[in-house]
Amino acid sequence: MKRLVLLAAVLQGLTFAGAAAAQGAAVPDYSAFPCLSHTLPCGELAAREPVRKELEGPLDGNAARGKQTAFARNRGNCLACHVMPGGSQPGSRGPDLSHFGSTGRSTAETFAMVWDMRTVNPETLMPPFGTNAVLTEQELRDVVAFLLSLK
Amino acid sequence: MLKRALLPALALGALAGCGIFGGGPHREHYPDARIDPFKGVEGDVGFSDTIQYWRTEADLQRHAALAEKPAEQWKLNWKHMDLDRIELHPGHLAVDEGQALVKKLAARDPAFLACLGEGSADLKGKAAAYPKFDAALGRIVTVEDRIEHCAKRVLKEDLPQGKPSNTKISVYFKSQSAGTPIGVDLSDGNVMEAYRRGEELFYRKTGQLNFACASCHVPGSIMGHKLRGETPTTPFGDAAHYPTYRTPVGALESIQERFARCHGQMRTQALKPGDPAYADLEVFMTVLSNGYPVSVPSAR
Ligand code: HEC
Ligand code: HEC
Repeated sequence: MKRLVLLAAVLQGLTFAGAAAAQGAAVPDYSAFPCLSHTLPCGELAAREPVRKELEGPLDGNAARGKQTAFARNRGNCLACHVMPGGSQPGSRGPDLSHFGSTGRSTAETFAMVWDMRTVNPETLMPPFGTNAVLTEQELRDVVAFLLSLK
Repeated sequence: MLKRALLPALALGALAGCGIFGGGPHREHYPDARIDPFKGVEGDVGFSDTIQYWRTEADLQRHAALAEKPAEQWKLNWKHMDLDRIELHPGHLAVDEGQALVKKLAARDPAFLACLGEGSADLKGKAAAYPKFDAALGRIVTVEDRIEHCAKRVLKEDLPQGKPSNTKISVYFKSQSAGTPIGVDLSDGNVMEAYRRGEELFYRKTGQLNFACASCHVPGSIMGHKLRGETPTTPFGDAAHYPTYRTPVGALESIQERFARCHGQMRTQALKPGDPAYADLEVFMTVLSNGYPVSVPSAR
């Protein structure tokens, strides 16, 4: 079995001969955030301080759009760590959010958590989606609407 | 100067949570897992504790069933893939190609080979002592760096780290140490300093997602948990099988290119292979393989 897999891989390797070159080509630029370099400016960049974000005005979020944002790997990718209804290949490090809407969290509290979980737990593994502009404020409002709809 | 300020802070274990060190930028670190470098690969005992499944071939064979259990497969640290010994293993092809390249370059000037072997043409066992501090060059040198340096110095040829020809030669060079226990020399003060720098980098949170390497590769973090389709494993023992042949894309990958790939997932600015920070990280990672046999060629 394994032999076959490897053999297939060799053949695949021939087909994808250009893959290695392509791999190195398009390196996205994240130099606006801290990096590990001893010499580049990003190596000296400060991490953005935790921000306790107040929710202003009504939530005005769209749960269906929020679900898309939460699931998309290149947007929220909340499924990397959380179980959410309808999501494929969920992660297991964060709490199951399948019934988050029944846990009694307020809208403002939920918004503040997804904006920057470090304000609740400084050592959290969850990315500061708002502070680091992973998602826009409207996207986060949508995500909160989605979370609160999970009964 | 910043690093100077960081080292004592690390030594004091003042690493947890949000660290603001000596007037430098606001930096956050994942809590220190307090790895003892002198234990080498055995430091995984009391860390992920998965070494019991992959320490030896016999252990791997005894626990082969884990490979079929999605929730537990990560415990094998992918070492079960080192048991695949077939002639057509693409990593083996890289050994042959690397050897042919070395022959070709040494034919132009035998000093190339002597440079690789630091005075002798015999490479046997030598890769197991890398990364090391090279007093003449005044820096930490990895196998790939040695190859780049020798091509440049002896042949005036560019063989930059990360270029497939460099990686192939590295596979050949390291295959000449296959089975030799890795022995990064921590009694060398310069190596120890690089280890400490690499350690700090391992815990430092970076990028848009604010992850450290440790966020996925130490107990209590995401390690051992599903991260969508993947499960991050222990960092112990990893350096032993690099460069490796990546089956999914059909290409060789050096360990520093692997760092860059994890950096992509972390939405952190990736660095070029050979960057001094990556060399420090490679020292840290390789010390976590001290005592474990060089396992090149390999496929993952
Ligand atoms: C890298 C892993 C990770 C990712 C990605 C992640 N989270 Fe979390 N999340 C966590 C962890 C871990 C916790 C537990 C609390 C803590 O660590 O502070 C958590 C907690 C939460 C909570 C609080 C749950 C409760 O009942 O207290 C909410 C709500 C939440 N996450 C929403 C999200 C949303 C929405 C996204 C995507 C936009 C997301 N998370 C992405 C790891 C993650
Ligand atoms: C968001 C999670 C995440 C972060 C952060 C992360 N990695 Fe990884 N890493 C993974 C996953 C998933 C894999 C593949 C499974 C495995 O082998 O651990 C992996 C694999 C690796 C491997 C290959 C292991 C092998 O057996 O071949 C190395 C080496 C590695 N990571 C080093 C690093 C370093 C160094 C950093 C910090 C620069 C880092 N990782 C940050 C998730 C992560």
